[in-house]
Amino acid sequence: MGTIDISYWNLLVGLLMMGIPLYFLWKFKTGLVQSTLIAVIRMLVQLFLIGVYLKYLFIYNHPLVNFLWVFIMIIVAAETALVRTRIQRKVLLIPISIGFLFSVALIGIYFLGLVLKLDNIFNAQYFIPVFGILMGNMLSVNVIGLNTFYSGLQREQQQYYYLLGNGATHQEAQAPFIRQALIKAFSPCIANMAVMGLVALPGTMIGQILGGSSPNVAIKYQMMIVVITFTASMLSIMITIKLASRQSFDKFGRLIRVFKENKKNA
Amino acid sequence: MLKIEDACITYGELELFTGLCIHIKKGEIVCISGESGSGKTSILNAIMGFVPLKSGTITVDDLLLCEANIDLIRKKIAWIPQELALPCEWVSEMIQLPFELKANRGIHFSKTELFSTFKELNLEEELYTKRVSEISGGQRQRIMIAVAALLQKPFLIVDEPTSALDTVSVERVLNFFNILSQKGMTILAVSHDRTFKLGCDNIIYL
Repeated sequence: MGTIDISYWNLLVGLLMMGIPLYFLWKFKTGLVQSTLIAVIRMLVQLFLIGVYLKYLFIYNHPLVNFLWVFIMIIVAAETALVRTRIQRKVLLIPISIGFLFSVALIGIYFLGLVLKLDNIFNAQYFIPVFGILMGNMLSVNVIGLNTFYSGLQREQQQYYYLLGNGATHQEAQAPFIRQALIKAFSPCIANMAVMGLVALPGTMIGQILGGSSPNVAIKYQMMIVVITFTASMLSIMITIKLASRQSFDKFGRLIRVFKENKKNA
Repeated sequence: MLKIEDACITYGELELFTGLCIHIKKGEIVCISGESGSGKTSILNAIMGFVPLKSGTITVDDLLLCEANIDLIRKKIAWIPQELALPCEWVSEMIQLPFELKANRGIHFSKTELFSTFKELNLEEELYTKRVSEISGGQRQRIMIAVAALLQKPFLIVDEPTSALDTVSVERVLNFFNILSQKGMTILAVSHDRTFKLGCDNIIYL
């Protein structure tokens, strides 16, 4: 059972549906019409480009090329995190890149090698989608978590210094802020996990079923995807916070400026 | 207990003070006073390493304030900042917070001792089970003083401990500090309160 291809003409017919949300965004003067149109165009261009390069990645199917793709993804994800968190490059770039690389490699290879037991774990058919989904999830969790961690530290400096001043180690004084970051970053994942299959059918499972897999196989992949994305996201944010802390505090534990200054204030 | 020698603190171009020397003996109660912006809170923060000195040295209990000693120095200190507002919902959480730290795990937290300290500071036991939002600023100040006392540190640093208290309560706090100092605790406070200042062993004007 194969997947029915969508012709370009039918793709255009499908895209017409975007007219409905665009109409309401325009009617209620949300100011989001232009950004929605740009987002749709960007999505189309980016996905077409991905279609092209994935085609060649699958044709070459070479471990080095596949790893090169992962490195490029890590650089793009780290840059995206820098823009979305507004944390200074010198504080975040290296820690988050190491966090992404270590987590995606460890969890990805564990899954492909020990769970799927692939003869060739670098096989593009598995390597690319698994590493890709890990990267996507790690990025969103890191952005929420890092924003919560650093904005909490800025806002609740009195608590941080109260703990330090009463004998806390640097790790202990940071702990309440790491706790808040984890709660905020992982609560949506936990809520989604709890209702998975009840409220909505998850993406991986739908993709596999549309691709011709049996529902029995699809649910097992979905279970594993949830586990590996959750684990890799946790690992990456913990590594990033640990490494970024070295750049965010001075030798006496004083918080140094981590967010980029607003252009207005510069 | 505390030696500050030739200290200078600056914020950018602004020099708060220079050539400051303070010597405090074990068991003394010393109050720092002065105009707003003269650097009273900054010097307290500098003792804990939160504000850097431009020049000069700070020694706490024979330990020179430096990167290698900062954790050891902080372990000797109980610290109450000005208008402390911790993001805790319950008073009990706020009280127990410093007792959960590794440095303070050797100190057994006991409600009996807490309530006995509460009594000395004219606080009701019921406050322990209330929400932080339900207690007054003065009650919060005295609760934090009680907590600092229970931590049994040799050095108490407190910023404006009586700013929300009436004269009777100020005298009660002073009596309590005197009991602590007789037990060997050194107390360094910043205060504008005349009654409090006059009750201390020494006053330093900045």
